[in-house]
This record gives sequence, C-alpha cells and structure tokens, in this order.
Amino acid sequence: MPKPVRAIAWALVFSFGVCGPAGAQWWLNVPTSNVPRAAGGEPNLAAPAPRLADGRPDLNGVWEPIKTYSRDLAADLHPDTKSVPFQPWAKKLADERGDGAHSRDDPPARCLPQGVPRLAGAPGPWKLVQTPGLIVVIYESFTLWRQIFTDGRKLADEVNPTWLGYSTGKWDADTLVVETRGFNGKAWLDQVGKPSTEQLRVTERYRRKDYGHLDMEITIDDPGAYTQPWTVVEHFDLRPATDLLEFVCNENNRDLTHLQSATD
Amino acid sequence: MKTSTALASLTLTLLAAGLPVQAHHSFAAQYDAAKPITLTGKVTKVEWTNPHIYIYMDVPDEKTGSAVNWALEMGGPNALIRLGWTRNSLKPDDLITVEGSLAKDGSHLANAKSIVMTATGKKMLAGSSGGTGGTGGGAEER
Amino acid sequence: MRRIVALAPLAAWLALGAAAPASAQWWRDVPDTVPRNANGEPNLEAPAPRTKDGKPDLSGLWNPNANKYLRDIAVDLKPGDVPFQPWAKKVADERADGSHSREDPDANCLPQGVPRIGAAPAPYKFVQTEGLIVVVHEAFSLWRQIFTDGRKLADEVNPTWLGYSTGRWEGDTLVVDSRGFNGKTWLDQVGKPTTEKLHVIERYTRKDFGHMDLEITIDDPGAYTKPWTVKQNLTLLPDTDLLEFICNENNRDLAHLPGGDVQ
Repeated sequence: MPKPVRAIAWALVFSFGVCGPAGAQWWLNVPTSNVPRAAGGEPNLAAPAPRLADGRPDLNGVWEPIKTYSRDLAADLHPDTKSVPFQPWAKKLADERGDGAHSRDDPPARCLPQGVPRLAGAPGPWKLVQTPGLIVVIYESFTLWRQIFTDGRKLADEVNPTWLGYSTGKWDADTLVVETRGFNGKAWLDQVGKPSTEQLRVTERYRRKDYGHLDMEITIDDPGAYTQPWTVVEHFDLRPATDLLEFVCNENNRDLTHLQSATD
Repeated sequence: MKTSTALASLTLTLLAAGLPVQAHHSFAAQYDAAKPITLTGKVTKVEWTNPHIYIYMDVPDEKTGSAVNWALEMGGPNALIRLGWTRNSLKPDDLITVEGSLAKDGSHLANAKSIVMTATGKKMLAGSSGGTGGTGGGAEER
Repeated sequence: MRRIVALAPLAAWLALGAAAPASAQWWRDVPDTVPRNANGEPNLEAPAPRTKDGKPDLSGLWNPNANKYLRDIAVDLKPGDVPFQPWAKKVADERADGSHSREDPDANCLPQGVPRIGAAPAPYKFVQTEGLIVVVHEAFSLWRQIFTDGRKLADEVNPTWLGYSTGRWEGDTLVVDSRGFNGKTWLDQVGKPTTEKLHVIERYTRKDFGHMDLEITIDDPGAYTKPWTVKQNLTLLPDTDLLEFICNENNRDLAHLPGGDVQ
C-alpha cells in the first residue's frame, strides 16, 4: 500500500466509530426546550452565546472539531506564528514520522491516549460539563476524560507525568484560559508526528463565539522540542442533537499488523 | 534495620481506609500466596506504569553467586502516589529487600507485598493485590 | 469564609506519623469545601448536601469500601443464592479457580462493565448537574453518563461495555437503570457471566456527607433465572483527587495469566 494511503487508512480506522449517523437515535424524548430555534424550528446556531446565572459564559455542550486537527496540528497556524519552530532533533524526528512510515509507533495506534491538545482535535465529539470550580470534559475518543479545575488551585512542581496532563482554568473576560502541564512526553502532538517532551505546557483559550461555535487558540510551549512557543487556531461546532457514544479502542485493535514501525 | 513504626502504622491505616489497591485481574491465577519469598538485591530497572509497576532486580544466586534478574509486580502507580511515593522513589542501583508471593509459572517473577530500602530502612507497601491476609488492607485474594 | 487547605509537604508527613495527611499532594491551595470538626478533620457525618431543587447532591469523590466485591460480587450472599441458569453456573464454575483469568476483559485492559467498574479499587467522582450526572472513573480513566433529564433509551442500541444509563429519584435514592450491554463483561473476577440482556439497577443513597449506600440488582434473563440483589457501600475521599490510569501503557499480565484470549 503506498504511504499516503497508509496514513489515510489509519485515519479511517479512527473514524469508523464516529462517522455515520449521530447517536441521537439511541435516545428518545430528549428535552430540548433550551435550544434556541430559528424560524423553521431547527437550532439557531448563530444565536448569542449563552451565559450562566452568574454571568459567566456557558461552555456546556457537545462539540466536534470542524476538521481533523489531530492529523496536523499546524493546519491552521495563528497569525503570530509563521511556522512551527522545531529544534533540529525534533524536526528530524517529525520528518521521519511525517509520511506515515512509523505510524505503528503513534500511541493512538496502540490505543494509547492522544495527549493534549490532540485529543480535542481527534475525530469524534466531546462534551464539556461546566460546574462551579470544575469543568469535566468527556471525550468520545477512547472514552477518555479531562478535569479542568477552575477553583483557584495550583499544580505542584513535581507531579507524576501523564498522557493528558493536569489542567487548571481561569477566565479572562469571556475566554476560558486553560493551562495544562505534567505530561509524560510520549504523545505525538499530531498524526504526522510532531514530538512532545515532559517540558510541554499547553495553553488552550476557549471562546464561545455564538451558540453553535467554539474557537480555541492553542499555544504549545515545549522548550524540550521547540525553540519558542507557537500557536494554532481550532474551531468546533456544537452538536445539539446528539450525544457521545462509547469508543473502546482496544476491543479489537487489528491495526498493528497493518501499520509500519520505526523498528521494521 | 530501622523501620519507622509510625510510618508503618500510618500506611496500614491508610490502606484499611480503603485506598486503592490495584488489581484488574485475579491475583490467585498468577501468584501463590502460600509461596512467600524474600529477595534482597539491587534494582536494575523500574517501569513506573499502569496497570502495574514492575521493578527488576538482580538477586545473587545462593549456589552460583551470580546474579539472577527477577521481575516484581506491584500495584499501579496511583496507590503509591497517594502514599507519597514518586517515580523516582526507586532507582537502578538501589538496594532493596522485597517480600512477596511467587509466580505460579515458575519464572523469576513475584508479586511484591512490601519493599524495604536498605539505605534508609523505609518501607514501601507495594499497593499490590493479595497476600496480606486478615481483614481490610485491600487484599481481595487469599 | 473559605479556608485554603495547606497540604503537608511529603517530608513533614513522613516525620509526623500522626494524623493522616491530606493526600492530594500534587494540588496546592485547594479551596476547602469539606465540613470539618473542631480538630480540623473532615466531618463525614455532616448532613448530606442538597442541590438547589432539594434533591440530594451525590457529587464528590467516592471510594468502594471493600475490594472483596471486585473478586466476588456475591460474597455476602449465601452459597446458592445467585440464581444461575445451568449454562451460566457451568461457566462460572470453570472460571472460579482463575484458570481462565487471561480471558477476563479487565485483565485485557477492557472496560470492566457495570457494576464491576464501581467495585474496582480506584475512586470515582460523581459530577451532578441538572439533567446529567457524569461519573468520572479513575479505573482505566473511563467515564459514564447517567441522564436524569427524563430521556428514555431506544429498544435497539449499539451494545457497549458500560451500557447506557438513566436515573430518577425515589425519595432520596437515585435509581439508575443501565441497559445496552455487550454481554462480554464478567460481573467479578471469579467470572459470573453477563449477556446482552443484562439490565442493572443501582440504587444510590447518600446517608450523610461521607457515606453512600449502594444496592445493586442484576437482572439478566440470559444468564440468571431471576433478578438478584447485593449491597455495597462507598466512602467519600475528601482530600484527594482522581489520577490518570491508562491500563494499556504497559500491560504485561497477559503473558503470565492462564487461559485463552478474551472472547
């Protein structure tokens, strides 16, 4: 199989669980009275962004990336970032990984987490549940979750490194600024293989533009792999008429026999 | 060997309070609680991972004197993190004494119940399933 | 006025050996939302909190009190109380000595299913909002959703490991119905089977701030001759939080366990 097709094949594997009909048909009698409606009765996605009783933006909802940012995190660079500022070793590694020749080594190919920010840009919706002091985000992808603490707590300097890090969030006017660190350095930032290290710190800026649209500006600050921080932009659409399905990656993961590895 | 009894009783208290003891599979299927083993030797490798931490250690063979490498299975990291341990608590070349249960398949594998660090006398309860006997303590296998 | 809990650094904790430390030492300056008694310890007997609409608030980090239910969900019942169908009894007997434990989905880092995931030795957090309770599990870093907004599950759904759950209040008890299972999970380590017909009813009652009763009914007409019920209980963990648990990252067990491949 030619190399570009291999990469596409892998992308298809991950979309199989989430393409096709939305999960709405599993649920009946779902109350939807709080969805703003347009004249024809369909959800009015351009209605103003809702607010909670305390005036804060309401980010609750089921969201889905408008494109598969998990394939290439640099798909939409922020205007302030001209190109990805790789360190030489990181550029070399990204180039080796870039055509899919090592795709078996990509952690999600082994059903390991995509890491942050890749998880939100992976195929499939996620649901943000906003409560005082804590936001929980549940992802359809691999049935993973993240906690974003908004209660003012701080992360200790030394923590056990993880795939998805430890996140705190605070409001900057109507933008939720989420800081995440404590990563294990094993995640690829995207499918084409941008590296990360344990020094990675991710800042995600969530802003709900209107009822149906969420923008996210993401800054990658990893002095172990990049010469300076760099920023990308991602967009998410609200999915008002569906809910998350279960996606258990390792229930029958046959990819590994089909993908190549760096050690082949 | 100096053991901090206060620390030991504290950690036992925490275990009895129901702190996590990792066991996502049957202890008895893999290990024999009736075959306790004590190993003293030098750490060669630490895999601080889920679902189990694995410690590899060189243990001098009584007969030949040369080192045999053993694998010790422990609970997952989270139980130990909650007891204040980190991934750097054990490093290659540390000298340790391990109490545990031998694997049933005859390999150089044991399920670790406790680890005492020779240099400090500090005892690390392994957060592992099984073998502690009695009530509480998170043991769910006999 | 909210107090900020100062979490004792590790060195001081090791020197103390006295009161049990706040164990979430990876978080600092955590606002204190826990009722405390005179000497500063959590008052687990304080009244159970309620939401604005007067319902019990089950939110919190909960820990199963006894690992024994993970091994055998029916350990408190008398022998013979579990109403197996003959085929299910045969399978359970074959699995009980651990000789098939390599086939336990749990050992393969697959979801434990419901209710077994609640008996896993790892805490889980209830995040209760209007219309939805998210259950955030440390065990394998999974989540469940319990919809309390009145929706109903369709008759035909894609079978899953953790099912589809709805909840309603009966007095102060949250009654959770779960269906839509894939029939692949073992109810416990000794191997009680499930089928796609499994319907689990969990009844959660938060007795006070720190204690929750849980009554579980297993209603699986594919494997048992009638529904059967067990009781468990949970304790709140006030001074710690969830950790990540990615089972797949280094699962070496399969090479050591007896048995075949997961079905």
